[in-house]
Amino acid sequence: MLGKGGKRKFDEHEDGLEGKVVSPTDGPSKVSYTLQRQTIFNISLMKLYNHRPLTEPSLQKTVLINNMLRRIQEELKQEGSLRPVFVTASQPTDPLGDNFREAQPAFSHLASQPLLPTDLVSTTPLESCLTPASLLEDDTFCTSPTVQHDGPTKPPPPALQPVKDSFSSALDEIEELCPAPTSAEAVAAAETAAHDSKDHPSESNVQKPEGLPEGRTAESKLMDSLPSNFEITTSTGFLTDLTLDDILFADIDTSMYDFDPCTSATGAASKMAPVSADELLKTLAPYSSQPVTPNQPFKMDLTELDHIMEVLVGS
Amino acid sequence: FLGAGGGNDIQWCFSQVKGAVDDDVAEADIISTVEFNHSGELLATGDKGGRVVIFQQEQENKTQSHSRGEYNVYSTFQSHEPEFDYLKSLEIEEKINKIRWLPQKNAAQFLLSTNDKTIKLWKISERDKRPEGYNLKEEDGRYRDPTTVTTLRVPVFRPMDLMVEASPRRIFANAHTYHINSISINSDYETYLSADDLRINLWHLEITDRSFNIVDIKPANMEELTEVITAAEFHPNSCNTFVYSSSKGTIRLCDMRASALCDRHSKLFEEPEDPSNRSFFSEIISSISDVKFSHSGRYMMTRDYLSVKIWDLNMENRPVETYQVHEYLRSKLCSLYENDCIFDKFECCWNGSDRQVIFNRTVTFFLPPLCSIVMTGSYNNFFRMFDRNTKRDITLEASRENNKPRTVLKPRKVCASGKRKKDEISVDSLDFNKKILHTAWHPKENIIAVATTNNLYIFQDKMN
Repeated sequence: MLGKGGKRKFDEHEDGLEGKVVSPTDGPSKVSYTLQRQTIFNISLMKLYNHRPLTEPSLQKTVLINNMLRRIQEELKQEGSLRPVFVTASQPTDPLGDNFREAQPAFSHLASQPLLPTDLVSTTPLESCLTPASLLEDDTFCTSPTVQHDGPTKPPPPALQPVKDSFSSALDEIEELCPAPTSAEAVAAAETAAHDSKDHPSESNVQKPEGLPEGRTAESKLMDSLPSNFEITTSTGFLTDLTLDDILFADIDTSMYDFDPCTSATGAASKMAPVSADELLKTLAPYSSQPVTPNQPFKMDLTELDHIMEVLVGS
Repeated sequence: FLGAGGGNDIQWCFSQVKGAVDDDVAEADIISTVEFNHSGELLATGDKGGRVVIFQQEQENKTQSHSRGEYNVYSTFQSHEPEFDYLKSLEIEEKINKIRWLPQKNAAQFLLSTNDKTIKLWKISERDKRPEGYNLKEEDGRYRDPTTVTTLRVPVFRPMDLMVEASPRRIFANAHTYHINSISINSDYETYLSADDLRINLWHLEITDRSFNIVDIKPANMEELTEVITAAEFHPNSCNTFVYSSSKGTIRLCDMRASALCDRHSKLFEEPEDPSNRSFFSEIISSISDVKFSHSGRYMMTRDYLSVKIWDLNMENRPVETYQVHEYLRSKLCSLYENDCIFDKFECCWNGSDRQVIFNRTVTFFLPPLCSIVMTGSYNNFFRMFDRNTKRDITLEASRENNKPRTVLKPRKVCASGKRKKDEISVDSLDFNKKILHTAWHPKENIIAVATTNNLYIFQDKMN
């Protein structure tokens, strides 16, 4: 910030997001409101988790950013409870919708959460975003109360189980196909990640002796950064820095968000299509020692990709 | 009638600038606090490198009646050093957050300086004589051979070059878990308070191993933390009263006689939010960065991101006056959030004592408050003054360009939108790296000290 003191110009792009405050109820400007809200949400997350100072970060700044995130999450929660999860209003609460909603978290960690269209975001995906590794672990995912955030614990829907199993096997397949060193590392990393997420409940108990439940809300995980920073350690989460940063801030493929469920020909299956092998592999990227950018062509055949797709879709 | 005019009647002239000229700013040279002492003769600055530099005003030259004395370096010392917190594996910055002078009681000067964790009381004393003519020692200190001593003499004090020494007299440490943002000396001149993000402690100047916690807003569960303390100050006359401001735009006035732990405020000052101005950033821009009592103690001034507010202590539900510092930034808040500028902490200050007016520096009138001006900084090295009586305001720039001594500063104007007039600057051309966070006003005269990133500017009003 204190370079040669050149005059700073505002981004034209930024200006486009600024301007008069639009209320969420305005019709045409709702998009810009949600866009602005999402942008601010992203910026806030990055501020909290991308900062690696040598000195303690300012508590005031952390608190203000946390409050911002909470407010946005509250808004999203309220909007989520009033409207169906789909982008379009044409498919209100139906079993399909429920399935999608509940299945969503399984895949949401593959996407970079912060950029999901707001309508598809609930508190669960955010948490998944922060703890993607835990979702690879059956136990944590199934028993996490936040998945069943609308009530007491209930058994996960059957749709989930086959997905997870097939996902795990798909994972293995991919690893077989990857070059040996990376696959070994990927497997090791995946195991470590799974191990970490198994550990994290106890870790979290150590950090929070006040006795929080394992599957905390996203807010509480965000707030972890506060006591951690000031009471015990500087860790901002229970994942390793590598995992968290790489998953959150790896190069983001936004092709998923161009997908419009309205225009898809098929039913539920097509809803899952956007979560392609691309996303899967991007998640694996951090586990490999070779940096994989989304633009790099993958080393797999298209046939392999199709195979995985079929497995995931369960058809 | 000199000295009694309003803000725009004062014509501000460039007087001096201190600091490096080159654009490349060394991090350690960034000025982090500026404070005049009670007489105005001394001006102290603290920087990010933990150093304190004190300037002294020259004695007035009777022949040079057209300008007040210049400020020259009087003393420089390293107040705080960087430390390492081994428990958290974090550095503790040596940056001086605040300096507060004690009123002068004897020949020496005393000031409190603080970084994030530790407050120090420094004694600054002059030495202009030294004893000479010892019997047993040479002038350089070596001991003489006793057998060579044949006569006896009495050592005498002889003048020497003025030497200013700073020595730490008290170190008040280990009382703050969080970062200290304020220190304030009580009107009893025996105690002072120090405030961090969540707690305020009361100290006695003589006692370093004990302090009393008078405010604690730390929640039992840190997850519930949504508000922090941003500034605190003792009332100038009432030694049991102090205020503290918060990140949510509230000010609480507390009376230490009410209870040992002043968690229950006596008064809560808060302005209801203006619904037409609501945005995502409403809370952040309402966070108060500075609070200052007026000299009389009847009013207090607060600074939030976009405005300066004057509060009457008798009215809690809204300020009596609000001045917009840079309202044109309201539409840029998202960008300012992204580049962190929205978290900049601007300070504010009152003009010199509103009780006395000095005429020609020989006659002092004690008048009811006539001239009341408040000053605060902005971006692009601009700073703003608001005259509370005439309701006029002015924007000036602290810059080395076109600033010869005694040249009157030209008012600046920012063009918010539309067609930019000549000499106006458009909002998009503002340099947000050039921020004036710290300003100070001489306690008695119209002399102001304005700190840019690494330079200290001194301006005076044009005399005659």
